[in-house]
Amino acid sequence: MHTKSLMIVTLGLALIAAGLVAGRPPAPTAGETLQPPPSGTFAIRDVRVFDGERVLGKATVIVRDGRIAAVGADVKIPADVPVVSGEGRTLLPGLIDSHVHTFGNALQRALASGVTTVLDMFTDQGQAARWRAEQRAGGGTPGRADLLSAGTLVTAPKGHGTQFGLPIPTITSPTEAEAFVDARIAEGSDYIKIVYEEGDAYGLSLPSISGATLGAAIAAAKARKKLAVVHVGSRRAADAAVAAGASGLVHIFGDEAPSNDFAQRVKAARMFVIPTLSVIESVTGVAGGADIANASPLAEFLTPDERAALNASFPKRAGTKVTLQYATAAVRQLHAVGIPILAGSDAPNTGTIHGATLHRELELLTRAGLSPIAALGAATSAPADAFGLTDRGRIAVGRRADLVLVGGDPTADVTATRNIVEIWKGGARLDRKPAPTEAALAEATASGRISDFDGPDITAEFGGGWQISTDTMFGGASEATMQLVRPGAAGSTGALEITGAITPGAPFPWAGAMFFPASPPMSPANLSKFTEIVFHARGDGREYQVMVFSTALGNTPATQPFTAGAEWKQFVMPLKGFGVDGAGLRGILFSAGADQGSFRFAIDQVRLR
Amino acid sequence: MNTRAYALEARYEFLKQVRMPAYAIPSITFPVMFYLLFGVMFGGGRPAAGTTVATYLLATYAAFGVIGAALFGFGVGVAIERGQGWMTLKRATPMPPFAYFFAKVVMAMTFGAIIILLLVGVGTALGGVRLPVSQLLALTVTLIAGAIPFCALGLAIGYFAGPNSSVAIVNLIFMPMAFASGLWIPVEMLPPVVRSISPFLPPYHLAQLALGTIGSGVGAPAWTHVVTLAGFTSLGLGFAGMGYRRDEDKTWG
Repeated sequence: MHTKSLMIVTLGLALIAAGLVAGRPPAPTAGETLQPPPSGTFAIRDVRVFDGERVLGKATVIVRDGRIAAVGADVKIPADVPVVSGEGRTLLPGLIDSHVHTFGNALQRALASGVTTVLDMFTDQGQAARWRAEQRAGGGTPGRADLLSAGTLVTAPKGHGTQFGLPIPTITSPTEAEAFVDARIAEGSDYIKIVYEEGDAYGLSLPSISGATLGAAIAAAKARKKLAVVHVGSRRAADAAVAAGASGLVHIFGDEAPSNDFAQRVKAARMFVIPTLSVIESVTGVAGGADIANASPLAEFLTPDERAALNASFPKRAGTKVTLQYATAAVRQLHAVGIPILAGSDAPNTGTIHGATLHRELELLTRAGLSPIAALGAATSAPADAFGLTDRGRIAVGRRADLVLVGGDPTADVTATRNIVEIWKGGARLDRKPAPTEAALAEATASGRISDFDGPDITAEFGGGWQISTDTMFGGASEATMQLVRPGAAGSTGALEITGAITPGAPFPWAGAMFFPASPPMSPANLSKFTEIVFHARGDGREYQVMVFSTALGNTPATQPFTAGAEWKQFVMPLKGFGVDGAGLRGILFSAGADQGSFRFAIDQVRLR
Repeated sequence: MNTRAYALEARYEFLKQVRMPAYAIPSITFPVMFYLLFGVMFGGGRPAAGTTVATYLLATYAAFGVIGAALFGFGVGVAIERGQGWMTLKRATPMPPFAYFFAKVVMAMTFGAIIILLLVGVGTALGGVRLPVSQLLALTVTLIAGAIPFCALGLAIGYFAGPNSSVAIVNLIFMPMAFASGLWIPVEMLPPVVRSISPFLPPYHLAQLALGTIGSGVGAPAWTHVVTLAGFTSLGLGFAGMGYRRDEDKTWG
């Protein structure tokens, strides 16, 4: 009858469908472009290029002003551009570790093994905010990896995530979910991490948020255009997270074989999965990173502490049901149906370290059925796509020149990623130095010298480096930043200046710079031969304090005051005065005290004696 | 082509509507009143989707006004005139049949332009809206051209609705659709359930196109909205064609 009208109606429906499909709102992402790249102009010629997805046989890559300007086989290199030979080498996008916890010098250590971006899955949100602010201002390159962070996680009172000593807010009912997620976003969380963990897979019994709270938190995050990623430990919890519409899982389960339709359900939910096989391997009592620590080209760049960490594993718990075989089987099933698999290490958990463990994860992913190319994608383009990082993760024109040049062909044997030749971040070459040997470190430690702040970076002779520490981890709002200034005390080149402001809010306000005598930060160092902390200080005349953290004191530091006047002055503080000796020392914090207002002081020639 | 017939028809269509308060008054006052209330008094300079509430809602209430002028002009106009037998009479005149539709499109667009001008005036004078002339022009042109899909949809309604029920029917379709498309309050603030259906509603796409011209909106590419709106235009014309056939069959057997 009305054939013509019907045809017009059909055409209309087809157009509507086409418009709707093409105009689908973009998936929620972590969103923000992190950092303006620094300058850096060079070319790499005759190199095998893994562009994040595919392999280009023999190509030239030109980097201009920190961004990739050209990629291809017939790219001409302008005369004025310095050239790096890529013969026999492979160029990879800077690696992305999709599951870390960032404390102390984690970002420097990650970059040292070619990890140019980390996706943090829980840290002190105050510290994360400081790093983000520095990134936005263009800082931290090339010395350290970029960070995106979930900040504080969503977990139940006394649930998983509360055991690390950071007093974090918790959630008890679904009705709190929206406000809870809003609070995280206000703190700056790039995405929302939710812990749904009863510990059953590990023979534990942990308080967990309910399934209803899980659903409400996921819905709240997605409604605010944030990814909702979920920590699960068991198959049951994973099934629940999939059913609740999570954006991704940040672990795979290993307590049971996956059900036959698991991958199909994950696919229907359009999720990604960060299996973290490395930490699961450690949980099963296997020190899978030992190879890297003892017999890989990465080893000489690892500190003795890091090598020791890789040679360790979690003690295998009696009640644990988790096996690497089940976890691997689940990853195999997911990969077979095309679920995006993202490489994550879960460093610095026992048995894992920042940077190097990601190389182990790539190897474990290939054992779970990923081709070397797919495994490399899991550490580059897959996380960039999943987290909406459009400026990195691929070697393509316009992207940041976050690059790793390795010897050999990791697209054939993925362990070749360990043969790192060069690392560039934002086009800036990392000056990669072998870590001090055991003997050198022992000597440095024996000397007791911590920092004289005369070099170009804020470094320490031993231990886990310097980090800003403030009461934001206890709900306060005090702020501090640190920077090298000239000149230093007693005619030396430089000193560490710490500026900030104390704002009331926390029960014990503080803001300052903390030295960690061991790595990872807050682990105890045995420095029993020392009896005094010696340092120089000067400042605005306010009273400051040295706070010492030690296993002997539990979680509460001991404090001694000092006044930083206009002239440099040496201070000698016996450890006895803190009620501790050098054994089990975990941190030394130089901080402003309880008085409100802004402060400025500098320290130098810090040592133990 | 007999341009005089087109011009005359358009002129008298406009005059008719201006002199018929049942159309002219609600078409113009509702968007302006709503905008004063939600956009200026409650919203003002508060931030919304990359701009201020007053600026954001200027675009969406202008879309609301343009869509209303088109839907009521066609939906109610055609239904009533069909009921009066006006269409049958017109067919007996030498006027080209297309002039009838052309006149209604011009009329709807003219009312749309008046509404946009009023809203821009109110927003600039009272809501602190500061848009460069280039953006205001782009917004106006986009919205006026965007009347076309709603003329087509209104035509379809006009061919199926009865003369007395047509106002109610257009209101029943238009008002919930306007709300769920984010014309009254920003789509980002809608409950998630409502938010999930908005892409299936044509006003959503015109609003997003309009917001795109002032640097706001959810950020889907503009051409996807244009394609979707072209689809709704086609849908409206197709159904109108069926309605027209139905009338012909009834009249002539």
